[in-house]
Amino acid sequence: MNLFTRPMRLLTAVVLEQMSDAVVKSLLEMGVMDFVHINKLEPQQMEKLSSRPSSVTRIALEDMRHRVEAILRQGQVSLPTSDVLDVKNMEKPDLDSYASLLDALGKKLLVLKEKQKESNQQVLGFDEMHRYIDEDKGEYLDLRVGEISHGTAEDLASRLATFGGILEPYPDGNKYISLTLRRDGSQVSPLLDKFGWTESSDVTAQKRAVSIVTHRLEEEHRKAAVQRKEVEGEVNDLIRAESSSLIAIWGNLRLNELSDQIRSYFSYTRNTTLFSGWVPSDQADEVTKAIFSSSEGQCVIEWTEATQMPREEVPVAVTSPKLLEPFQKMVNNYSTPEYGTVNPTIFVMIAYLVMFGLMFGDVGQGFVLLLVGFLTQLSYRKNPLKKDGMLSRNLSKLLPYLGVSSMVFGVLYGSYFGFALFPALWFNLDAVVAGNATTGPVRDVYGILGITIKFGIIVIYTGLVLNWINLFRKKAWLKMTLDKNGIVGGILFATGLYMGFGFVGSNYKEFPSDPWIPIVLGVTILLLFLRGFLDYYLSVKEGGQRESAGKVIMDSTMEWLVDMLEIFGGYLSNTLSFMRVAGLGIAHAALMESFKELSSLSSGVGAIAILVLGNALVIVLEGLSSGIQSLRLNYYEFFSRYFTGKGVAYEPVGLKTSFSAQK
Amino acid sequence: MSKNPTSLYGFINAKLRARIGLMRESHIIEDLLKAKSVVEAVAVLRDSAHSSVATAYDRTGDIQQMELALLYNEVEMYQEVAKFLEGKPADFVRNLLGKIEVDNLKNIIRLWYGSIIRRRPMRFRSEYLFKEKLLNEIDWTALVNATSWEEVCQTLRNTPYSEVVNAFTEQQLDDEGLFVLENKLDQQWYAQMMVSTERLSAQDKGVAQSVFLVDIDLKNLLMMVRYGWYHKMDKEKLETLFLPWGKVYKHKSVLNFVQSPVQERDPFAVIEQLYPGLNDALKQISEEKRGSIHQDELMALQNLRIEAYLHERRKAVYRKLLASDPFTIGVSLAYFFLYKEEDTMIKAILNGKYYGYEEDYIRGVLA
Repeated sequence: MNLFTRPMRLLTAVVLEQMSDAVVKSLLEMGVMDFVHINKLEPQQMEKLSSRPSSVTRIALEDMRHRVEAILRQGQVSLPTSDVLDVKNMEKPDLDSYASLLDALGKKLLVLKEKQKESNQQVLGFDEMHRYIDEDKGEYLDLRVGEISHGTAEDLASRLATFGGILEPYPDGNKYISLTLRRDGSQVSPLLDKFGWTESSDVTAQKRAVSIVTHRLEEEHRKAAVQRKEVEGEVNDLIRAESSSLIAIWGNLRLNELSDQIRSYFSYTRNTTLFSGWVPSDQADEVTKAIFSSSEGQCVIEWTEATQMPREEVPVAVTSPKLLEPFQKMVNNYSTPEYGTVNPTIFVMIAYLVMFGLMFGDVGQGFVLLLVGFLTQLSYRKNPLKKDGMLSRNLSKLLPYLGVSSMVFGVLYGSYFGFALFPALWFNLDAVVAGNATTGPVRDVYGILGITIKFGIIVIYTGLVLNWINLFRKKAWLKMTLDKNGIVGGILFATGLYMGFGFVGSNYKEFPSDPWIPIVLGVTILLLFLRGFLDYYLSVKEGGQRESAGKVIMDSTMEWLVDMLEIFGGYLSNTLSFMRVAGLGIAHAALMESFKELSSLSSGVGAIAILVLGNALVIVLEGLSSGIQSLRLNYYEFFSRYFTGKGVAYEPVGLKTSFSAQK
Repeated sequence: MSKNPTSLYGFINAKLRARIGLMRESHIIEDLLKAKSVVEAVAVLRDSAHSSVATAYDRTGDIQQMELALLYNEVEMYQEVAKFLEGKPADFVRNLLGKIEVDNLKNIIRLWYGSIIRRRPMRFRSEYLFKEKLLNEIDWTALVNATSWEEVCQTLRNTPYSEVVNAFTEQQLDDEGLFVLENKLDQQWYAQMMVSTERLSAQDKGVAQSVFLVDIDLKNLLMMVRYGWYHKMDKEKLETLFLPWGKVYKHKSVLNFVQSPVQERDPFAVIEQLYPGLNDALKQISEEKRGSIHQDELMALQNLRIEAYLHERRKAVYRKLLASDPFTIGVSLAYFFLYKEEDTMIKAILNGKYYGYEEDYIRGVLA
């Protein structure tokens, strides 16, 4: 893992055009180049270059790929991933033949789906009659027992089927049971008359007919439902049988899309191809070798160091071990760090987990989070097609970390599902909140507030130090020293802290009166005031625009005033903001205490149920609040000190480049 | 004590605005149109808010089951919005479900009519109907199974529809069909909604009525063209079809149109006064197509043009609602409109794909 963003180099290469296909394949296989358009050349040189439209547009390739994906998903087949991509198998896409194959498959599917629809309609018809029997709504049914004197029973049965009715032989003699819906009576009665239907007057037979016909209905319903399900299976089987060729087509389409994407950055002269892109420095040699080998040495390669380019144009690559993935996502969700600055992931991880643990320290509840995290991950692994639920894939990866953090702090607090099963290694949070702590380093809630404020100070100073490191690397000396987040700002903050702790130490009676305090305050505030003027002086020295003296004074003064407000208001509020950590921790302990109280009023299963439900509620509500507050503190109190988020993400084109399964 | 508009609408309107934003970004309709078959169209719905429609297709292969799934989603949507509101605005939103109820009732009566009057067995078709409570307690199953019009009336006796259905006899329906009955049911719903808007705050009432009045104008204008001009319906019948609100109904030229002898009725003169822009478009169609297509086809095209024009006007009203005061019922109404519009398009496209129509043809119909 790099503590800073990865160093980058810009490649510019010229290869013979006939070698460009091979070069594209090797670059695609490596997947490390973040291409840039060649638009920085002299206009005369640009005129000699041209872009070449591809024979097949990327949109057509994408549309065809989406068609393949639609068919695969209809067959419940997992969509292929970049693992199936192999540049050696890439060939010119034959879209017409792909379309024919998909059309033919589509037609077969529609035939099956039509069959499934018919089965479904049968199911619906039987469902309705069965429901009326179940719900005792016999008034909607027309059940008859009788004999026919003309025609055949088969003929009558098929004619009744047009009304969704059924004809079932009665077990004794020549009788039949006819079941139709009463609403069709005006048509069914004349039909039965045609077959010479004579109604039986046997009351027992009428009663028995209900159970016989119910059995038949169930049987017919089952058959139709099975048939419907079978068709679903046939659809899946048909697609699965074709899945290997569909996946091969998908792979070729995807490779051609990527190849086209790379080619879209290429410029051409009559015989050569010119392209450019950013590559991490540590992979520059490999890229050189790959281009050299695929172009059979017919190439010219030039490298430009990132330091020679404007910083904001250099893409930013950060590498974090897989272990830190959930925290890397938090950083990415915020923004991309500036090129050459500190990769904040490891600091975010530490700060986040400590904050969470301070707020949600409990061994038992932490263990539940750990377990839920692992089980959710397992469930997603078992069903890769499963959509993200409330516990998303990302969250399920974060939960085990939160669980461990909670368990560690649980041991320190001596809290096990809210019970002090073992002595606390640090202090008993529950006892402190309940007001009966007699031992340990913290005995009242002020102590807890103090801890979180000190923790906040550490976080803020870590942010400031990271900011100084970033500015040092950027050689932004003025900003590093004379800025609200620079060294002067840090000194002012330290002075403020000294005064604040002194005030608390005097039992809120007086501020410390050390003679150095006004000197430090005066000098730092003066230095900050001078900063605007220095800034202007340096900018003019470097060829910047001259301004009138009045404007410079006005601008510098206003900037200074705003900075003063931000330093005195911002640092104070940022520091006190960490008291929320104590607040949430106290709320957590208080809630557990309440549930223990409630449980003590009950006994047996009731008491256990209250405790279980209480713990569940605390895990969900407090867990969520603590997670959100930790994120908030990281984003606003920590990142605001050093994270500019001005970077452009490094997005190389390669086989692993992400794609959308949806259009 | 009733809440102030900010706390009443703050949450739900923010939520609906976010959804409207997503709807606008979504290219679901475009992707559905491009799909080469139902199977591919269904794939578009899989990862959308309409995934239940895709599930229905996987399970049944039946396009009508997909439509039923869409209807369930729509009902849920209204109920969800009503849940986040309270008091009269919540009642108002619940009353909007009355439109689905009236449409459902019309569908059931159509099935009943086919089965009992026209003797076409209903079979499984009754299972495609929505049978849960919408607004009023209606025994949908009893309606489906009614064997006479008296039974239908009896089933609807304790509902607001009782008076309307009781005004018709089975013989009358047999002779004249369902058109007038359906028109009366629609009129009743509009009457209910206009009453419902009266209960809202002055600002909400203004917003809601502006929406309904545009809708009513659309219906009345179409009624005038279709039945007053194309079907040459006599004055007495035509008068009863109009919804008694809006600028079309009240306009003198419409009154003159209705009073004129059927052969002398000129809808374009009326439209010229009410919607001059629309009249130009209709004349253009007339000039372009005259001689090349049958008169019936020309009228159908003109009807479609009127519908499209008024649909655009409705859209403009909803756009205005979204740009005006964010703490009124307007955002909810705009969301319902957009939702319904998307829903209707999805249904139309799925049906088009099912019957094998080309993309361009479906686009033409939807335009």
